[in-house]
Amino acid sequence: MIVPMKKATLVILREDRDAVTEALQRCGELMPIPPEDLPPGAEQAEESLRAAEALRLIRPYQEKKGMFAPRKAVTAAELLTPDEKGRELLAQIEEASAAAEGAKARMGELDARMEELRPWAGMDIPAEALSGTRSAGVYSGYIDPQKADALREAAETQGGAVSILGSGPQGTAALIYTYRPEEGPLLEALAALGFSQAAPPCTGLPGDALAALAEERRSAEASWEAAQAKLRELARSREELELFCDQSDAAGERAQTPYSKTVQTVYLEGWVRSDRTERLRKAVEKAADCCYLAFSDPAEGETPPTVTKNNRFVSQFETITDMFSIPANGELDPNPVMAPWYWIIFGLMMGDAGYGLLMVLGIGLFKKLKKPRGEFGKLVNVLFFSGFTTILWGVLFGSYFGETWHPILFVPLDDPMRMLVFCAVLGLLHMFSGMAVQMAASIKAGRFWDAIFDQFSWMMLLAGLGLLFLPQTRTVGAALAIAGAVIVLFTAGRAKKGVFGKIIGGFGGLYGITSYMSDILSYSRILALSLSSGVVGMVMNLLAGMVGGTAVGFVFSLLIYVVGHIFNLAMGLLSAYVHDSRLQYIEFFNKFYEGGGYAFRPLQINPRFVDITDSRENQGGN
Amino acid sequence: MTLGLILAIIGAALAAILPGIGSAYGVQIGGQAAAGVVSEKPELFGKLLVLQALPGTQGIYGFLIAVLVMVRTGMLTGSPVALTTQQGWAFFAACMPMAIVGLLSAISQGKAAVAAIHMTAKQPDSSAKGITMTALVETYAILALLVSVLFVFIGIPV
Repeated sequence: MIVPMKKATLVILREDRDAVTEALQRCGELMPIPPEDLPPGAEQAEESLRAAEALRLIRPYQEKKGMFAPRKAVTAAELLTPDEKGRELLAQIEEASAAAEGAKARMGELDARMEELRPWAGMDIPAEALSGTRSAGVYSGYIDPQKADALREAAETQGGAVSILGSGPQGTAALIYTYRPEEGPLLEALAALGFSQAAPPCTGLPGDALAALAEERRSAEASWEAAQAKLRELARSREELELFCDQSDAAGERAQTPYSKTVQTVYLEGWVRSDRTERLRKAVEKAADCCYLAFSDPAEGETPPTVTKNNRFVSQFETITDMFSIPANGELDPNPVMAPWYWIIFGLMMGDAGYGLLMVLGIGLFKKLKKPRGEFGKLVNVLFFSGFTTILWGVLFGSYFGETWHPILFVPLDDPMRMLVFCAVLGLLHMFSGMAVQMAASIKAGRFWDAIFDQFSWMMLLAGLGLLFLPQTRTVGAALAIAGAVIVLFTAGRAKKGVFGKIIGGFGGLYGITSYMSDILSYSRILALSLSSGVVGMVMNLLAGMVGGTAVGFVFSLLIYVVGHIFNLAMGLLSAYVHDSRLQYIEFFNKFYEGGGYAFRPLQINPRFVDITDSRENQGGN
Repeated sequence: MTLGLILAIIGAALAAILPGIGSAYGVQIGGQAAAGVVSEKPELFGKLLVLQALPGTQGIYGFLIAVLVMVRTGMLTGSPVALTTQQGWAFFAACMPMAIVGLLSAISQGKAAVAAIHMTAKQPDSSAKGITMTALVETYAILALLVSVLFVFIGIPV
């Protein structure tokens, strides 16, 4: 059922603001309503962003945590405020990471400079001495390595000398010596060969400069390694950082509470479950000496968020409905009707006792080890529960890992027609239950005749058509079908104006039979899915049986058997989940359900990485 | 081996080939889209995998029809029935709904899956809506599967 909501109005003194916000977050019962004049884009808490970034930074350095490692458990009080140790850790990680990055950049820069200098390493003249004398000219520069010989020849034939140095990315470094008074033609020849003048990129002897750079690079590398070791060490305290991350998230969410301010007081409006108002009052009064807290029913035009309260079985299936659309506040909660159907149809689609047993054991173990939470946790529970119906239908149809053994009802694979009829009847009942919910809602709203004209008539018509197939009930069926059709024909156009409109409306309504027919046909997918998983399972058994015989064959056949059935189980689960949901969303919900609500998200502690040990008072959601 | 049996084998082979090609294509374009999203948002891998896998079912349905034909004609037990030419054509025709609809619907479903993957990338919370939209395409593959199954299983006397 959907829990009625109250609107809470809270006024407190400014100095109590922090204490009260903490108390509100701990009790997790109030969903603040942002005032309309709230400045847009309230800034995201900077510290929680930094913490998340730091977690990303240390990820490459941390040791692998086992897939099923338990989450750290802390008390709610520990989660409320960021502690100094975590803040220090964050600062250290940021510092070490900045140091590592700086050293890395420095290493790259030094590498580039060394690369540039390397061709000149063989030069035994200091770079400053390359200016030459009055009569001897010295030119340094680069030449295309393939033209080095041509360069030497050109220089030597024209009265100069050349020493070719090493090669680098810019070309081969070379020194040209000339006799200044006669150097003109030589320089022209050099230019024609593509010799580009450039000074060595250093001062002093290039060899010395290179050694100095190499020394500097070694020290940069050492500091890079030191920073990495530091990060590796810091990565060991990841749990603390994760805790800090959750803490700063909680603090950040508090900081974003949309209070309106006056000089002395702050003002907050919010939604609270009508059965939890006292809990909220106690929490606030404990935290503030002086406060004003009042509860009122939602006013006309206000739409409160939706909280559904169901028993532990049904509440797990809420996740299926919520994925379609969250029920609107004031609408009927579809979950109590939907849950058993989803449960039964899922089992029918899987339809194998062996697979059901695997689901119960495997998912049960997963639940025990991983303790999934939130919406994902609910989905896991849905699959877990559906394991039991899968066993049930598997036993009824006598299917055990694709083998048939003592069926109680019948074997779908041998008797697909019977299974098709069975699915259609089941689908009809499924749809009828949805229509019954709509009837109940109409009658409750005082529209008794709407329920009769719009739903009951169709139920008569469809049931009557179904009964036509059995010889014993043919007359009853015909009577029912005709009566239903007549009601539809005469009432479907009742909202239309004029006789003509009413007649058209009546026939238009009767034409709706096509949509009911296609809905019923849609349930044949149950047959298709149970056949497909049955036949694939059978084929796996067949294949495994073919290679048996020898010892090697036995190993292979075991491998085929295990891998094949796990594959079939996984595909079956995917198909059953998808198509069962679809049957609910399209065939079932369109008979009565609208949705369009929004979820109740109270101010509460929502840790991403840790579990809260004293969680009872914090789970405000459901 | 009779001509009828050969026709049945051709039908079964097409039922395995064509939906297999379609599914491979559908899963491939889904995989490309999903890989692009996962490179930015690795945490969505699980949700996108479901979407990517959806166009893969047609291949399984086609395989199923092929196996059912083999079972009905006794090919799996090593003593194939000597089908008449008429029976062979009947088996061939019975395979066609699954073969053709399987091929085309898997490709279409792959395209719907790509769109749903893009939607999930922008709004991770609406992945279930994307799954439902993509699954609607599969309805027609399921109807074709049923028609083929009923033909092969009870429609054709052997």
